[in-house]
Amino acid sequence: MRTPLKFPMYAAIAGAAALAGLTSSSIAQDKPFEGQTLVVGVWGGDIERLLRENVVGPLEEETGANVELLLGGTGDRVAKIYAERNNPTMDVAFLNIYEAPQALRDGVVEAPDPELPMYQAIWDGMNNGCYAMSLVGLGIAYSKALVDSPPEWADMWNPEYKGKIALAQYPGSEGDGLLGIAARLEGTDETNADVAFSKLAELKPIAMTYTNLDEIFTLMEAGEVAMAPMISGYVLAGLKEYPGIGFSFPTDPGPVLIRDMLCLVKDSPQPELAKMFAEKALGIQNQTAYAQELFFGPTNKNVALPEAVSADVVDKPEDVDALVALDWPFVISQRSEWTDRWNQEILAD
Amino acid sequence: MSQARTVFLLLPAFLLVGGVFLLPFLLLLVTGFWTQRPDSWIVEPTFTFENYARLFTDPYFVTAFARTIWLSVLATLACLLLGFPVARWIASGRPGKSLMALLMLMPLVAGALLQTLGLVNLLSLLGVVNGALKSVGLIDSSIRFLGTQLGVLIGLVQAFLPLMVLPLATVLAKLPVAVEEAAMSLGASRFSVWRRIILPLSMPGIIAGSVLVFCASLTSFVTPQVLGQGRVPTFATIAYQQAALVLDWPFASALAVALLVILGAALGLVSLLKHKVLARGVPA
Amino acid sequence: MNILGRIGVDAVWILIIAFAYLVVLAPVVVLIFSSFDAGSIFRFPPREYSLRWYEAAVESREYRSALGASTLIGTLAALISLVFGTLAAYGLVRGGLRAAPALEAVLIAPLVLPLIVWAIALLQIYAWLGVSGSFGGLVVAHATVTLPFTVRIMVANFSQLDPALEEAAASLGASPLTVWWRVTLPLVAPGLILSAAISFLVSFNDVVVASFIAGAQWITFPVRLYSQLRSQGVDPTTVAIGAAIVALILIVGLLGERLFRWSKQL
Repeated sequence: MRTPLKFPMYAAIAGAAALAGLTSSSIAQDKPFEGQTLVVGVWGGDIERLLRENVVGPLEEETGANVELLLGGTGDRVAKIYAERNNPTMDVAFLNIYEAPQALRDGVVEAPDPELPMYQAIWDGMNNGCYAMSLVGLGIAYSKALVDSPPEWADMWNPEYKGKIALAQYPGSEGDGLLGIAARLEGTDETNADVAFSKLAELKPIAMTYTNLDEIFTLMEAGEVAMAPMISGYVLAGLKEYPGIGFSFPTDPGPVLIRDMLCLVKDSPQPELAKMFAEKALGIQNQTAYAQELFFGPTNKNVALPEAVSADVVDKPEDVDALVALDWPFVISQRSEWTDRWNQEILAD
Repeated sequence: MSQARTVFLLLPAFLLVGGVFLLPFLLLLVTGFWTQRPDSWIVEPTFTFENYARLFTDPYFVTAFARTIWLSVLATLACLLLGFPVARWIASGRPGKSLMALLMLMPLVAGALLQTLGLVNLLSLLGVVNGALKSVGLIDSSIRFLGTQLGVLIGLVQAFLPLMVLPLATVLAKLPVAVEEAAMSLGASRFSVWRRIILPLSMPGIIAGSVLVFCASLTSFVTPQVLGQGRVPTFATIAYQQAALVLDWPFASALAVALLVILGAALGLVSLLKHKVLARGVPA
Repeated sequence: MNILGRIGVDAVWILIIAFAYLVVLAPVVVLIFSSFDAGSIFRFPPREYSLRWYEAAVESREYRSALGASTLIGTLAALISLVFGTLAAYGLVRGGLRAAPALEAVLIAPLVLPLIVWAIALLQIYAWLGVSGSFGGLVVAHATVTLPFTVRIMVANFSQLDPALEEAAASLGASPLTVWWRVTLPLVAPGLILSAAISFLVSFNDVVVASFIAGAQWITFPVRLYSQLRSQGVDPTTVAIGAAIVALILIVGLLGERLFRWSKQL
């Protein structure tokens, strides 16, 4: 067997990289983590920008450590921390609520520590699997040309919009949330999957499965799509560009509560730095910036938002109470089976 | 050439493929027969046929497999049809051939992600393509391209036509024009010049281009994912769904192995055929 | 065939060529137009024009480093693919091995496996070896993915080559290495250039393998693009960069043509 290590080119480059690392890190000696590198797996875009401003910059300043952001989607990160679980390279991973509890059960992330101040600063009952990072709600984005007023969930089933409802790719929080809603419209919940799926199948034919916001917004503004369940946050931030698209937080039932989670990878190379990163990421400054720029609701009880921002953001206990909470551990356990059902009962013609 | 020299020539490539490709493949081969409990995403080394059974008995997967191969065949044929004239033009040394070769490289340069989004814009119901077809009176109501096999096929041809044209052009460029002219001047019809001379001599290029386009279409992920809008599942989109979203790792492994084994057999067959054709076709 | 018939055939020929270029270039044209869009969304046709995304692209340190990483990785991967692939192709064509078709199929195999599944398996092996996230790991992964292109293209080129040319040179007393360097390789130069170009571009634009294999210090341009695309949408800066790359390749290619007449090789 020939391992990549044996290529002389690789050795030369590794040497050069190590040299570069040495020279750049030999400045100040009083900083405890001088020369150490923390690896954080996170989404690209505005989240990356805000983390760099509010967390990475200050942390590097204080500790002398080097923080690298490994960009990607959640699926990539989960696959990575599972594949590397005996030899992890990532210290912190941002995951979705539908992955975090399972990751904890499988022992690839650290259990959140109730003794820590950062745990206690978060709303009670939110730290499932990992630390809750932000709160968003699954609502409805709609074309103002086709839908007169902010729609309720039941309006998606209005025959007028048949064939004009778009869905996000499955599995994902949007699809699971919608299954939960469909079940509730029929007076039950997601544990009654047959009811949820047959209700959802009434929406067929599905206009499209979208993979990114540009795609769905283009078609929505063109009037090809009337409504799509979407997670508040980026959508609200992106609507500035699309005057023809609105976003509705339904009331009967309310939006589905969805959380981003911050996970500390088990046996990671830099557990101390990872905790310091988490404290800052969950801290008031960063969570306020998330809310103001991205409409991501803070999980930290001590964040106080201006009234104008608070209106579009899930940030108060009563906001949270109005949201629909899914039984996520159950949803996760159904993932493979529901994916088959989704492919065949919802998407197939 | 001596046996030792041949081995020396082949060794580096086989070490690379052996270490970086076959080793992970062996891992997939093994995990494809392993188990994943419903309450865990960790693979357990318990032997099972379950994954392969599911793959070959569920009509959804069987259909997707057939659809993937069918789309790849169509894409290859379309690329051959469109690509051959282009390749011959580039190879014939006519004016503008350098610009044409460069422009043909562009789909590889600009990256699949952005171009696919460009295609979404162009092919939507109210997009430029439907608009143009309507304004010249070819159609009355918009054609649905997105979310259909036709849309995915267009995307595949756009992305992979260069893989047909450019290898074909490098081979056609070596085709001696004199042979062609001589045959013509001896009174051979254009058709028989084509059948007897041009086609056989182009065979290595046609096969090279077809293999590349076929394989690239087969494993293409971005194009069917975005242009298919969830309605045109192919092997690559299903593999992505299972590996990165469902996290059913044993099943994803089985999918990959099944694809490789079936296509390996098919490719081997083509390769054998090629040598037969070459042995017969090339006037040495 | 009469003259009119020939003109008809030629017209069909030219129509096919025009259609092929229309299909291939349409999305590239969209890309170029959108890059001048003043709005921050990806749409066609644009409503207002500006250069703001080009300015943003020039200012972004992150994109500079991502482009640098992609270029370096692409160059090294293409180099390995070109050298290893060309040697192997020559061995396959001229080695006289009965198993040549089977051996070639093995070298082409990386082209057929769904990359995402393979990449995760490779990641497990890298993690086990302790080289996960390393630069060399990504380079050899890309070299392996691009090797089939070189092998396939060079097998086609070598099998079109008349062995008599090499034999003639050898009979004049040239050493095998000299024959290879002075006769064989120049004759297949277009194939070599093409193999290198395709290998580089495939590596440069790969998002699937790099998403799993790349370490945090080596985030490539497509990975950066895709990581934002999936959650938010297209960053128009990447559209400007994409358009700039297209322009750069065209300019370099055309300039090279004027200066070195590279197309004579074709």
